[in-house]
Amino acid sequence: MTHDPIPPVLRPAPEQTIFSVRGLAYRYADDMPALAGIDLDVAQGDRIALVGHNGSGKTTLVKQLCGLLAPSAGEVFYRGRRLHGTHLDQARLEIGLLFQDPDDQLFGHTLIDDAAFGPRNQGLALAPAEEVARLALEQVGLVEMAYKAPHNLSFGQKKRAALAGLLAMRPEVLILDEPTTNLDPRQAEIFLNLLREFAGTLICISHDLIFLYELCARAVVLDRGRIHHDYTMRELVSQRASLREHGLDFSFRLTADAPPHLGPAAAEPIPRPAPEPSGNAAANAPLVSLQSFNYRYPDGTRALAGVDLDIGCGERLAIVGENGAGKTTLLTCLLGLHQGQGTFHFGGELVTARHRKSLWRRVGMVFQDCADQLFCPSVEEEVAFGLKRLGCSVAETRERVAAALARVRLSGFEARVPLHLSGGERKRLALACVLGMSPELLILDEPTAGLDPAGEELLLEILADLEATLLLVSHDMFFVGELTRRTLVMHQGRIAFDLPTREFMQDEALGSLNGLAFVYRRNCGNAIRELQHEHEHSHPHQHLHTHPHRHAETLHAHPHEHTHEHPHRFAHRHPDGSEAHDHPPRRYHEHGHPGHDGDPHDHEHE
Amino acid sequence: MPEVILVVLPAWQFAALLLAPLAILVAAAAGLRRLVRRRGAQHEDKDWSVPPLADAAGTTLFHRWDIRCKLLTLIAYSFLVASLSRVAPALAAVAVSILALVLARSSWARVLMRLLAITGFLAMFLVVMPLTAPAHPGDTVLVIDGVDWIGFNLRGLTKALAIVAKATAIALLMEPLLTTAPLPVTLHGLTKLGAPDMAGQMVLLSHRYLHVFRHEAERMAAGMRVRGFRKRTDLETLRAVANFLGMLFVRSFERTERVFDAMRARGYRGRFPAPAELRMRKTDLALAFAWLAIGAALVVYDRLSG
Repeated sequence: MTHDPIPPVLRPAPEQTIFSVRGLAYRYADDMPALAGIDLDVAQGDRIALVGHNGSGKTTLVKQLCGLLAPSAGEVFYRGRRLHGTHLDQARLEIGLLFQDPDDQLFGHTLIDDAAFGPRNQGLALAPAEEVARLALEQVGLVEMAYKAPHNLSFGQKKRAALAGLLAMRPEVLILDEPTTNLDPRQAEIFLNLLREFAGTLICISHDLIFLYELCARAVVLDRGRIHHDYTMRELVSQRASLREHGLDFSFRLTADAPPHLGPAAAEPIPRPAPEPSGNAAANAPLVSLQSFNYRYPDGTRALAGVDLDIGCGERLAIVGENGAGKTTLLTCLLGLHQGQGTFHFGGELVTARHRKSLWRRVGMVFQDCADQLFCPSVEEEVAFGLKRLGCSVAETRERVAAALARVRLSGFEARVPLHLSGGERKRLALACVLGMSPELLILDEPTAGLDPAGEELLLEILADLEATLLLVSHDMFFVGELTRRTLVMHQGRIAFDLPTREFMQDEALGSLNGLAFVYRRNCGNAIRELQHEHEHSHPHQHLHTHPHRHAETLHAHPHEHTHEHPHRFAHRHPDGSEAHDHPPRRYHEHGHPGHDGDPHDHEHE
Repeated sequence: MPEVILVVLPAWQFAALLLAPLAILVAAAAGLRRLVRRRGAQHEDKDWSVPPLADAAGTTLFHRWDIRCKLLTLIAYSFLVASLSRVAPALAAVAVSILALVLARSSWARVLMRLLAITGFLAMFLVVMPLTAPAHPGDTVLVIDGVDWIGFNLRGLTKALAIVAKATAIALLMEPLLTTAPLPVTLHGLTKLGAPDMAGQMVLLSHRYLHVFRHEAERMAAGMRVRGFRKRTDLETLRAVANFLGMLFVRSFERTERVFDAMRARGYRGRFPAPAELRMRKTDLALAFAWLAIGAALVVYDRLSG
C-alpha cells in the first residue's frame, strides 16, 4: 500500500497570491539537477518555513524567487507576472533576501551607507534614504554604530545590520537563509522578535526548527530538489517519522529541555572516566592549568583578564558566554596560537614561548567554520596532513586515516574533494583530521553551527564515544547538557562562573544574565513535545492511498480516499491533561492497514 | 677643477656613521608603533552614531574643499614636489605638508602610521645611495682607513635626503587628501574627474572585502598551524602553501559571486548610488590656485638655489 507523500495543498485565492511557481526546474552548470517539478503558491502574509536536508535545494529555490537564478524549466510569477525584465527589477526592490553569511551582504563602507543602498536604488534621494536607513538601524538596535565599518562588528551585529539593510527597503517579502546560525541565544531572540513584528510575507530557511516553530505557520519540505510536503508547521513538528525521513528530526533535543515533572528525560550527563589513582604528582596534575592569565589584542584591547582555570585529564567541560566574551581567544591561547601573560601549564609542564609552538601535538581543535581548516584536494590527504607533520610512517598514516574516517562515518570518502562535501560531512571530516592526531585535549568551537538535525544527532553520537579531554564552546545548550559535566560562563574576558553543567542548566537567571536566554526554546520544546505525544487509539481519519481492492467482482488498484476508524498510533494532544484527544488539523494519515485490501470500498469511480 | 675630497675615518667611526641612523630609525619605528597602538586602544569608545567627520575636526578648510578640486590640486602639487632636486626646497615642502596636517586637524597617530609604512623603504635610500653614488669632482667621500673600495659619498647622502624629504612631504599630504572626505566621496570625485566608474566601485568593494579575505586567510593559516604546519624550504611546504592559496582563491571567488548576488537582490544595476552631491564654489577654486602657487614657488626656489 503506498501513500501519496504530497497531500493536496490548499492554494490561496489568485488575488492573494504573491508568488506562484509552476513546474520549476533548475540545473547547475555541471548539469546536476538542483530543483525539479516545483509547484508552489505563496499567499500574501504567509509565514513559510522552508526545510530539508543540506543540499535539498532550499537556497536555490529562494534564489529563483528573487530572480537571482533563471529557471532551466518552468516559471516563477510574482504578483501574477513572470519574473523577467523590468518586473524583475521592480520585484527585487520589494523582496528582501537575507544571506547566510552577513559579510556577503554588507558591502557598504559604513552601516548607514549599506542600509541606505536599497532605498537609494528604490529612488530615494540621499537625505531621505539616510533617514530611512537610520530608522532601520534603530529597529535592529545598531543606530549607535551607524558610521562604523562592517568589518569592525561582531557576527551577531553584522547579522542584524544585514537585516537592517533589508528592513530599510520596507520589503513586501522577506526571505531569510539560516538567520540564526552562529548567533548566541540572546541575539537569536532579538532576531526572532524583529521578525515577529514584520507584517509582510516571510520565507525562512533554517535547521533550527524550534525557531521556525515560533515564527512560521506553514512548512514546505524539500527533498532532493522536490517539494515533498507542504503543510502547517504544527503538522511538521508533530510527525517524527516524517521529520526523520527528511533529516529534520530534532526531537532528540526535546528530552534535555524536559521539565522534571515529565519524567526521566532530563539530560543525564555522559559519565567520564575517573582519573586513575597514582602516587605521581605530575600524573595527578591537571591537564591544563592557567593562573592569572591575560591576553591583549595588538591594538591594546583586553580580551582575557585574570583567567584561572584547571582542566583535569578526561574532563568534559563547556565554555559559554555571549559573543565577544573571550571564548575563542581563550581557545587560541590554549592552542598556542597566541601568547598571553600569566602562568600556563600543560600536562604539568610550564608552557614557554618555545613549548607553545609544539602544543599542536597535544591539542586539537575543530573550528567553528570547518572550511577554515580544510584545504587539501582530497579527504585522505586532508586527514593525513597533520599525521605527516607528526612524523608518522606511510603505513601508520594510512591506518590512522582509515580509523579516523571510520570513526566519523566517512569511510569510502577518501578520494572525495572536501570542498564538494555537504556541511555535515565537512564538519565530520574536520573532526577526523583532529581525531587522527589523537590529541589529549579536544576543543570544539560551535560544533553544531550550520548542521541539519540529522547531522547534529550523528555528531552527538560520535562525540559521546570520545575518550579525550573535551572542551566544548557552544551556544547550543542541548549539546552542552549532553556532552559536559562542568560549565564555565565567560563574561568580558573573565570566567564569571564555574559550576556543574546540571546546575548551570537549571539556573535561568544565570543563563539570561550572560546572553544565553533559552526560555523561549524551552517553552517551544514543551509545546512541540505535546504535539509529538502519541499512543495507540481509535479515531476516524482520512486516507489517500493506492492498493488492490475489490468492488464486488472487480479487482483493481487506483489512488482513492475514504474515511474510516481503527486503532493506530498517532501524535495528538490531551487538552488540559484530560483523556480526550485533540488532533492537529491533519487531513491525511500515513500508516499501515493490515488486511485493508479486503475491506469494502465505497468510493466513486469515473 | 676640484678633486674628490677623501676623509679617512677609523672603522668604528665609519660603522657608527652607517649604523647609528639605522638604529635611530628602528627605534623611532618601534616607538611610533607603540604610540599608534596606544592611541588606537584609547579611541575604542568613539561615538559611531555620528559621521566621523562631523565633529569639530571635520569643519576645516580641507573638509569643506570640493573633492574634485582637492584631488586635482593636491595631485598636481605632489608632482611639483616630486620634481624638486635639492634638500632645502624639499624640506620646505615637508613644512608645507605639516602645515596642511595642522590645518586639516589630522590624526597624528594615523600620520605616524603612514610614515612608519615607508620608513624601511626610505632607510634603504639613506644607506644605499651614499655607498653607491659615483664620486664626482668636488664630492666629499668618507672612507675607512686602509679600505679604499668602499666610500660614503656625502653628495649621495644629500641626494638621498632630498628623496626622503620629498617622499615624506607627499606621504604626509596623503592624509589631508584621503581622510578629509569619506572614501566613497573621494572615489565619486575621481569618477567625476573622468576615472572609470567601474574602477571606483572595485576600489570601494576591495577596501571592504580585503578585511574579510584577510580574516579568512588568518583563520585558514591558524587551521594549518594547529595541525603542525610550519614554513620550511621544502616541497611539502610548497604544496601546502599552493593548496592554501588555491582554497583561498576558491573561497574568495565564491564570495564575490555571493556579494554580487546580494547587490543585485537589493536593486543594483551596474552603478552605485552617488554618495554625495558635489558643488564647486569660488572659494574652492581660489584655494586650488593658492596651493598650486605654493608648489610653483617651491619649484622656482629649487631651480634658483641650484
